[in-house]
Amino acid sequence: MKKLLWILNIAFLLVAGNVQAAGGHGIELEAANNNLRDQDSLQRGAILFSNYCMACHSAKYMRYNRIGRDIGWSDEEVVQKMAHGLNKVVDNVETRMVPGVAMDVLGTEPPDLSLMARLKGTDYIYSFLKGYYQNEKGAWDNHLLAGTSMPNVLEGIQRHATPEDYDQSVRDLANFLEYVGEPAKLDRLDLGWKVIAFLLVLLLLSYLLKREYWRDVKH
Amino acid sequence: MSDLKSEQNKAPGSVLGWLDARYPLISTWNEHVGEYYAPKNFNFWYFFGSLALLVLVNQFVTGIWLTMSYKPSAAEAFNSVEYIMRDVEWGWLIRYMHSTGASAFFIVIYLHMTRGLLYGSYKQPRELVWIIGMLLFLVLMAEAFMGYLLPWGQMSYWGAQVIISLFGAIPFVGPDLALWVRGDFIISDATLNRFFALHVIALPLVLLILVFMHIVALHKVGSNNPDGVEIKKFKNAQGLPIDGIPFHPYYSVKDSMGAVFFAIPFALIVFYWPEGGGFFIEPPNFEPANPLKTPEHIAPVWYFTPFYAILRAVPDKFLGVVAMGGAIMVLFAMPWLDRCKVKSIRYRGASFKILLTVFLISFVVLGYLGTQPATPELTKLAQIFTALYFMFFLVLPFTSVNEKTKPVPERVS
Repeated sequence: MKKLLWILNIAFLLVAGNVQAAGGHGIELEAANNNLRDQDSLQRGAILFSNYCMACHSAKYMRYNRIGRDIGWSDEEVVQKMAHGLNKVVDNVETRMVPGVAMDVLGTEPPDLSLMARLKGTDYIYSFLKGYYQNEKGAWDNHLLAGTSMPNVLEGIQRHATPEDYDQSVRDLANFLEYVGEPAKLDRLDLGWKVIAFLLVLLLLSYLLKREYWRDVKH
Repeated sequence: MSDLKSEQNKAPGSVLGWLDARYPLISTWNEHVGEYYAPKNFNFWYFFGSLALLVLVNQFVTGIWLTMSYKPSAAEAFNSVEYIMRDVEWGWLIRYMHSTGASAFFIVIYLHMTRGLLYGSYKQPRELVWIIGMLLFLVLMAEAFMGYLLPWGQMSYWGAQVIISLFGAIPFVGPDLALWVRGDFIISDATLNRFFALHVIALPLVLLILVFMHIVALHKVGSNNPDGVEIKKFKNAQGLPIDGIPFHPYYSVKDSMGAVFFAIPFALIVFYWPEGGGFFIEPPNFEPANPLKTPEHIAPVWYFTPFYAILRAVPDKFLGVVAMGGAIMVLFAMPWLDRCKVKSIRYRGASFKILLTVFLISFVVLGYLGTQPATPELTKLAQIFTALYFMFFLVLPFTSVNEKTKPVPERVS
């Protein structure tokens, strides 16, 4: 019977592995190698997000005060750095685009980015932002999303910064978007092992209790 | 135990005595817990019954708290789930416990049902325990399906769209039936509202009643065990089964240990792998439902995929629906399809062991195929394993009559 359980387990793992592998887009994604615990990176990412993304995109499920609290800024700092003091600290992170004009100006509705990292993955965001190239006609296109209407917004950094600094900027931005995708992620990771350590102690105690009671059951 | 009971009865002035004079408190406790005699030889497989109850409680408690912040409307549902994930205190934990709990429920139930197949727990006199259990499985599938629409993500929406459109394949009444289920021509706010009502009130109520009946029916006939022999045959001078032990404290302490043992992988998933590799929470569900944009690949949640693979394996849509329904309904007939008197697989012949192994492998393979796009090669494979799935039920009535069984011991080993 144990054998059967193993077979079920292995089958389950195989299926799980396969689906993760099948999540690709035909093009190898570059690993972002970001670190959610790097607050400097998150702060740089937040500023990049404000300067390069929010002209068109929102992160409407996040509030400024929550971002500030999580990445190490005071309420005053977060609205200064991300909204030039123009928003209230309890406001959601909305786009600076005037509502309703996106369709006319861009021909598309730029998606909200709150959950982009969870929808596509952090590596996808990193690879997508680095995936821009100029085609034979000299127009920008993207390896991951051919014909995208999004311009290469980081072109300025790409031209003027060193390749390492450029990569780091893209990494910071991807890192920030991963944080925005699930702001409680670090809480989750930090609480989990404590819960499991507690359960392991409880398992030992419940095993000893069981053994004590079962002493008088004759086999 | 009985000492305690008589002590309490001797104390008419106590609160317990007062209650017991007005409500069958002590006799109910004794019948189902304190003096319910269960075989002493339960193995690992026998944890999954109590674990199913534990997961049910988890779903109830986390579900009630989710309902406090969730908004069942097409305009607000997706937003309210993100509100729970971000702004509600501990909302992320409650939500992950509920979403992981749904998958855990099916893992536990599938193993619980496998246990029944291995040790012949569906056989006389436990046919009704099995049938009530199968009804529970059906209602659980409906409960999970409706719950899956509530986050109102892309996969919620299109998964429901695909499944409800199956009703449309039924001749004559199909399209009207699908319209009636949805309450609209497409999945819409009306569908979400009724699914919410059914998910949080109607179906949990039915589940609770069926669980009650499942346990009452089980306690009437007594638990089976890995040897498949009846412990009631050998009783001591007090009329108690020699090979039985009271559920409390023996199995209450053992099942508590099982609950903690189960909680560890559960916590590992909740805290470190809540998406379950895209199985427990599918990535397209992080995008709000969009009736105008069909996802590239629509797959139901993993626990429905074996049946989904059977549906797709049949070229005709209506016959596919019949096959899918049949794959579930045929399990109801197990007590009569299996005509062998020996219950446990330990003493059964090679034919049953081979058939059951092939059946279980088919189920797992179909589950895998149901997650994959239906390419011609994979569809062929799904057809083969669908045939093997049904072969179990077609061949078993014939092989089980004159099966070469091993001698069954009189008492549990």
